[in-house]
Amino acid sequence: MALTFRGGLLMNGHKNTRGVQIEYMPSPDKVTIPMSQHIGTPATPVVKVGDIVEKGQKIGDIPAGLGCPIHSSVSGKVTAITTLMLSNGRRCKAIEIENDHLDTVYSGLEPFKKRLGDTSAEEIVEIIRNAGIAGMGGATFPTYAKIQSAIGKVQRLIINCAECEPYITANHRLLLEDPASVINGAKILLKALSLRKCDIAIEDNKIDAVKKLRKMLSESELFDVHVMKTKYPQGDERQIIYALTGVELPAGKLPADVGCIIFNAETCAAIFKAFHTGMPSVERIVTVDGDCVKTPKNLNVAIGTPYSKLIEYCGGLKKPVGRLISGGPMMGTAEWDIETPVTKGTSAILVFSEKATRQYDQKPVCIHCGRCIPVCPMHLIPTTLAVYSEIGRYDICDEYDAMCCVECGACSYVCPGAVPITALIRKAKDNLRAQNAAKAALAASAEKKTASETEKGGDKK
Amino acid sequence: MNDEKKTATPSKKSTEKTEKALYTVTSSPHIKAQDTSRSIMIDVLIALAPAMIWAVYVFGFRSLTITLISVLSCVGFEFLYQKLLHKPITILDFSACVTGVLIGFNLPSTAPLWLPIAGSFFAIVIVKQLFGGIGKNIVNPTLAARVFLFSWTTHMTTFAKPFEKLSASAFTVKLSEDVIATATPMVYLNQGALPQQSLLEMFLGIRPGVIGEVSVLLLLAGGVYLLIRKVITWHIPVAYILTVGLVSIFTAPAGNAIDYSLAQMMGGGLILGAVFMATDYTTSPVNNTARLIFGVGCGLLTVFIRIFGGYSEGVSFSILIMNLLVYYLDRFTKPIAFGKRKSNKGAEVKENGKS
Repeated sequence: MALTFRGGLLMNGHKNTRGVQIEYMPSPDKVTIPMSQHIGTPATPVVKVGDIVEKGQKIGDIPAGLGCPIHSSVSGKVTAITTLMLSNGRRCKAIEIENDHLDTVYSGLEPFKKRLGDTSAEEIVEIIRNAGIAGMGGATFPTYAKIQSAIGKVQRLIINCAECEPYITANHRLLLEDPASVINGAKILLKALSLRKCDIAIEDNKIDAVKKLRKMLSESELFDVHVMKTKYPQGDERQIIYALTGVELPAGKLPADVGCIIFNAETCAAIFKAFHTGMPSVERIVTVDGDCVKTPKNLNVAIGTPYSKLIEYCGGLKKPVGRLISGGPMMGTAEWDIETPVTKGTSAILVFSEKATRQYDQKPVCIHCGRCIPVCPMHLIPTTLAVYSEIGRYDICDEYDAMCCVECGACSYVCPGAVPITALIRKAKDNLRAQNAAKAALAASAEKKTASETEKGGDKK
Repeated sequence: MNDEKKTATPSKKSTEKTEKALYTVTSSPHIKAQDTSRSIMIDVLIALAPAMIWAVYVFGFRSLTITLISVLSCVGFEFLYQKLLHKPITILDFSACVTGVLIGFNLPSTAPLWLPIAGSFFAIVIVKQLFGGIGKNIVNPTLAARVFLFSWTTHMTTFAKPFEKLSASAFTVKLSEDVIATATPMVYLNQGALPQQSLLEMFLGIRPGVIGEVSVLLLLAGGVYLLIRKVITWHIPVAYILTVGLVSIFTAPAGNAIDYSLAQMMGGGLILGAVFMATDYTTSPVNNTARLIFGVGCGLLTVFIRIFGGYSEGVSFSILIMNLLVYYLDRFTKPIAFGKRKSNKGAEVKENGKS
């Protein structure tokens, strides 16, 4: 029996590239490496224009706070430090490097030589931080911070190989072609967290990968491979935890609060690589697909490669572009610029024609059909949330648990009235967050005022 | 396809100066299921088709004329209203067609041809559009129109005998004694007696009644189609019909309780109402729990009205009354959000034991 959760959406997986081997794409003539690739503080460039850098050399660092360093993905010369507008409208610094195509590896990199058994958790965390590894499933939380906060708190390590978004097959191919790196990465994580058991969770549309892993791990006592029903959004960490343990992660809590920690399969492979070769996170696997792409492929590309080069490598476009999407079609972001560089969180690049993507010609009308309710993995009433968000009654949205929404998009997907439900709930959430922040600020200032008043009363000069 | 290729492909070596191709940015998700409001309405029309064909067989082409007039006037009134008020024209979503067919189905084949027009005006303009159009009305437009048309009680309660072919185009039909059916099954049931018609006749639809209600078999077939196409869920029809059946067994007068109960289920407009009108999206709850309560409520009210009411209008009135409660039903059956359950095990995750 495949494990699953309540709610969710059965949909066409469009896993067109499931049988296509990962190709190593030659690095382009020029890479643009953004200094902000994940949650946390943006990095500060530590190189100047004109500097010669080598592959794997640190080019951006975080002086303080949450975040991890950024490394050059090619060897060559820094030609410019520019400002890049990201698709979320924020700007960040980006380093442009002209590739000399020599692939000179930075001399400071060396494989980890100690035996894993003699390594302390702190050492592992430090190496992962220095390798600049951030979650590669899409949410891109700095991996070292995730481990650090979980040490001693968690009992279960889960490797997420659900890959529930349509089209994306990067993890699937990785598991088929290089399962050893994922497993070895997981072993390093087990050591860091001092656990003895690791669960690998895979959707049942990847049964070939399950068989392969089970065969490889038949002797091992460290790993359990779990098969989950193919249903969107099974890859959400809440739904994985529920499928595996039957525990609902309480609203507003982290997986570590229920004793679980979840890593993406490719993150594990990146960790293993950092230990095995010393090479930090400078490349990743990207699924290039969509009805506009001539030959959909899985590519192993250098971070900083513009999307246009990947699409070109896949034979170019065969139809006029309607949407360019970074990530999956359900939760990915639409990009306006085909020169956008690949970052650590780019799991897929999808190019859809206007016809294949969501249509906006219909006037959105809720016909009260209720189809959004059974598909909501968070058991909310999306239609009600959308109605109240539209008229600005965010207080009622809060009563209806708008803040629990994970923005998976299942409701908008099924809506026959084409109501942008997810977008409306997002609007409600943004407003609620702003209201709460304002309230907190008000309370803080009031507290400060009373505090300063008492202080004033206390020591008048 | 190949001709368009070049225009869309951004020039391969775009320098800083050349204009970059910029793409539309939209909010996720970027793909959508095929179903639209229109495809759903078309499915409902398909599901209603067998009953329509049967009506032509039993009551002649006059039933088709009445239904067509009703559809045309519904669409026409919707178009006129939206045109006059400079609102977007939404007749292409086919919801007015569905309302039209159902109004036709709720009239006897003897009705004068102005009757569907009056009903359509009330349903579309008063009940639907004045409340904001599709998805906004509070009560079912068809049933509200039916109740409104009871202002002309004689027209609404004069039924032709099955297989009496009436003129398809006459504006009003002169009804002679031998054409008029003396009583529908409901009239007998209202008096606590078993109807004249056999159960098989009622199941197949050889009995007097309004145009669309007679064939239980074909209405259920339409319902099964809607279930397969996932247009409706089973909750409302099953809860409704079973409630009527069960309560009828216990309230049956002396005699064969099972036969009485089956006649109650098949002799009136229950199947048409339960499958096609109680399930109307706009005026029914969105939660499955609420849908069950809605169905049971409709069932109880139907039996109540049939036993104690002066009219034999159990189905229409009960659905209309339950329509008014939809908001509260939905509100009080709000599911508990993921992770908000009190009994949630929370932090106690047991360590995965050795296998």
